[in-house]
Amino acid sequence: MNPDNDAGHGRSGVSRRNFLGGGLVAAAVTPLLNATAEAEAAEAASATADGVAQVLVRAAVNGAPVTVLVDPRATLLDTLREKLDLKGTKKGCDRGQCGACTVHVDGRRVLSCLTLAASTTGHEVTTIEGLADGDRLHPMQQAFVEHDGLQCGFCTPGQIMSAVAMVDDEGPARSDDEIRERMSGNICRCSAYPRIVDAIRDAQKVMR
Amino acid sequence: MPRSPVGREIDRVDGRLKVTGAAEYSGDYRAPERAADLAHAHLVTSTIARGTITRIDTAAALASPGVLRVYAAPEPIERLALYGVTGQAAGFTEPYIPLQTAAVHFYGQAIAMVVAETPEQARDAAALVTATYAAEPPRTSIADEPHVPAGPTISGSPSSLNILAPGVESIDAALAASDVVVEAEFHQNVQHHVGMEPHAVLAVWEEPDRVTIYAGAQIPAAYALGMAQRLGLLPQNVRLITKYVGGGFGARVVLWSDTPLAAAAARELGRPVRLVLTREQMFTLTGHRSHLTQTVRLGASRRGVLNAVSHRSLAERPSTMSFTMTPAHSTSDALYSTPNLHVDAQLAVLDIPGSRAMRGPNEAPGSFALETAMDELAIATGVDPVALRLRNYATTSPSSGLPWSSKHLDECYRVGAERFGWSTRSATPRARVDGQWLYGTGMATAIYPAARRTGFAARVQLRNDDTAVVSTATSDLGTGATTMVAISGADALGIPLARVTPEIGDTYLPPGAPAVGSSGTHATVPLVVDAARNVIAELKRLAVTRDGSPWQGAAAEDLRYERGILHGGGRSMTFGRLLTAIGSRGVDMESSPGGDPIPGVIHHSFGAHFCEVRVNRFTGETRVTRFTTVADVGRVINAKAARSQLVGGVIFGIGHALLEENHLELRTGRLANSTLADYLVPVNADVPDIDVVMLDRPDPRLTGPLGDGSEDVGTGSLGARGLGEIGTVASAAAIGNAVYNATGIRVRDVPITPDKLIEHL
Repeated sequence: MNPDNDAGHGRSGVSRRNFLGGGLVAAAVTPLLNATAEAEAAEAASATADGVAQVLVRAAVNGAPVTVLVDPRATLLDTLREKLDLKGTKKGCDRGQCGACTVHVDGRRVLSCLTLAASTTGHEVTTIEGLADGDRLHPMQQAFVEHDGLQCGFCTPGQIMSAVAMVDDEGPARSDDEIRERMSGNICRCSAYPRIVDAIRDAQKVMR
Repeated sequence: MPRSPVGREIDRVDGRLKVTGAAEYSGDYRAPERAADLAHAHLVTSTIARGTITRIDTAAALASPGVLRVYAAPEPIERLALYGVTGQAAGFTEPYIPLQTAAVHFYGQAIAMVVAETPEQARDAAALVTATYAAEPPRTSIADEPHVPAGPTISGSPSSLNILAPGVESIDAALAASDVVVEAEFHQNVQHHVGMEPHAVLAVWEEPDRVTIYAGAQIPAAYALGMAQRLGLLPQNVRLITKYVGGGFGARVVLWSDTPLAAAAARELGRPVRLVLTREQMFTLTGHRSHLTQTVRLGASRRGVLNAVSHRSLAERPSTMSFTMTPAHSTSDALYSTPNLHVDAQLAVLDIPGSRAMRGPNEAPGSFALETAMDELAIATGVDPVALRLRNYATTSPSSGLPWSSKHLDECYRVGAERFGWSTRSATPRARVDGQWLYGTGMATAIYPAARRTGFAARVQLRNDDTAVVSTATSDLGTGATTMVAISGADALGIPLARVTPEIGDTYLPPGAPAVGSSGTHATVPLVVDAARNVIAELKRLAVTRDGSPWQGAAAEDLRYERGILHGGGRSMTFGRLLTAIGSRGVDMESSPGGDPIPGVIHHSFGAHFCEVRVNRFTGETRVTRFTTVADVGRVINAKAARSQLVGGVIFGIGHALLEENHLELRTGRLANSTLADYLVPVNADVPDIDVVMLDRPDPRLTGPLGDGSEDVGTGSLGARGLGEIGTVASAAAIGNAVYNATGIRVRDVPITPDKLIEHL
């Protein structure tokens, strides 16, 4: 397993390039949307607010089709929090420096504060709310609780989303030092870092 | 029979909510019934440090889409209707009224606020607001501005002391008479708390004179009281909800500008208002640790026995909100036995953003200076650093003469040295080289004060389903306070943890202990135990008086409560069954007032840090490779959360030692660093595994008598002492001492960045 794997992006088959391209063109019609949503979308697409043309985003969020009109400048982070009421994704800095807003787009970890909502059309977005299987926590969530890989908990959704994609999308870490390096985009001021390393080391065994 | 959870490895009771994203922080609340009404505020901040606003142009912002209001300083009092704060709350509130004056006190002060339909519209319009000023040159240099005595320390003791042995004329004379003298000057720049959650507030008015505030606060009662005064309301008409708080570290002690402004706008607009600070605004609007210089002089015999300790400091005092920096407080004035002691703290008034206590407020900088100087004394005398500290071990405070209630620092040294392998160390610098890395080890002593705190309350409710609710309006900043309340309640009532529901973070609850000064746990557990004691007594009273009780008419003193069950007259019944039998859903009682400090003893937590670093010979980069901390923190309530907090404290010290500083621009008064890319805090790759041991020796007096097991109520959670800050105290000194051992280079100016090493390597 190569942790630096950048070619596979395996499960989704979507590369960073076509993810961005797809978002900008917004051409793909995703089969996730039903006809009603399509109709609503068409009607909504002509709407404007504040003199700025709104952009229609059609994506799958936590497995469910979502159609939402957004300001073309709106970030995925603000859209998740303010329009979709998914407040588990946190805003720590709003400029890509802290990792608190980490979510998955097609299984890859991305900073939702640096991702335009408009670019996610046709893609699968997963947030912390979509990780557990009903009442059953994802193994990474369970490991964070058991190892106390958190204190105030504000950075925790981002840490966990980052950790899950680190294992699932990029491949498990081969050493503790590798976990530390690959998790260094997620700041934890309470500094639960050693326990986060413990949690990921354990969880990645179960996740395989 | 349930085993008491006290001292065990307990998962946080709110862990599941935090890992699923369900925990609601201040910026996450929706005010669901008024969600469609929610308006969003954004602040505009000053671009000078001192002077007067002559004009603020709001026309473009007002014309911007979605904008509802633009408030600009100086606002007429009728619009925002904010008032001065006096009395108890004044110490926790900014001394000026935001936006209602044209005066600018610091660079980055709130001078205008835009409220709009969406956060994007508010932010966009805020960028269109322009201000003109009559600027004055700001006072920015602690060296050049007049110095004033600091005044009393945070615990009320004098910040200036001159204790001399009989016949000694002055501290200088004592130093001159010493065989060995070490004198060293230390400097550190401004540091920031950097909680991961930017300060956020939601204000919802239920009536014209009644408001609910959602905001992160370390002292909920004082925060709500300050808000009531700011808004001109009766104290009971402000409800503060602060259930999940994204880090405190001191920055959420104070009622800053953001919360009153959001609440005032919500009142004036008649709509709920949310205001979230940007990360940049956090650096000027929510406090920092003062920058300072310190001079430590140690005089000792050739064997290293101290004859004189002198610790002087000069720190900033911001002209608005200001923390009184007294770094010798509970470091040099408490740690080592010395017949001659001199401490003094001076301040210089500056036009810079407000300062506030930051984790180990005096002790982190103070211990860096003292414990670095002690390392220098060890080298000057050739005495091992651990032996040197044991040689000067204090059994009574050198400043007050009082003994400690509980002190096991010697055991911390012994256990730590053993675990770390200290005995194999070479005292000679640069003794261990591995390729491009120079390895070294260092140690330092941690000390942090504890004191009895009174005036707070907890409530315990026993319910007819055999569960209990423990309520107290303290705050969980990530400390594990919520879990601590549940553990203490479960132990006091003798019931399983799963049957105890803790409630905190809401000023509708009984006024809880402040989450400051490493005191939340030892202030809270006696309240919970006492409330449990009172509710058990009340349960017995109900048992002997109420219809439906099998004990009606019996004597209460003949009943015994044990582990959730009442026994007496050959019968036994759970409290839930009894409550059901008498037709009650639940019975609740609060803790009794009292719990005064016990005179004649003092309290501190202690610790010993042992650290290994490697320094790159070519780049000057320092990496911490091993760290062992042994802490004497009284009774441990939750071994899991306690260890996490101590580990986090040590890592705060890694930031102090190696990474963190904000640069004050002398010409402009601007704090130059304002993002997480230029104000560096430790990340995962900066941190090795941190080995933490807690001695778990209950403090016999801090929380009142420990109990002898004869009572119905469980007293197993008594004897706790603080641990939130002790890990941060002196961990930076241990790192600096290890850097010296690795390189032979002494850096007294933190952070120890590569540029300070590389020219000497």
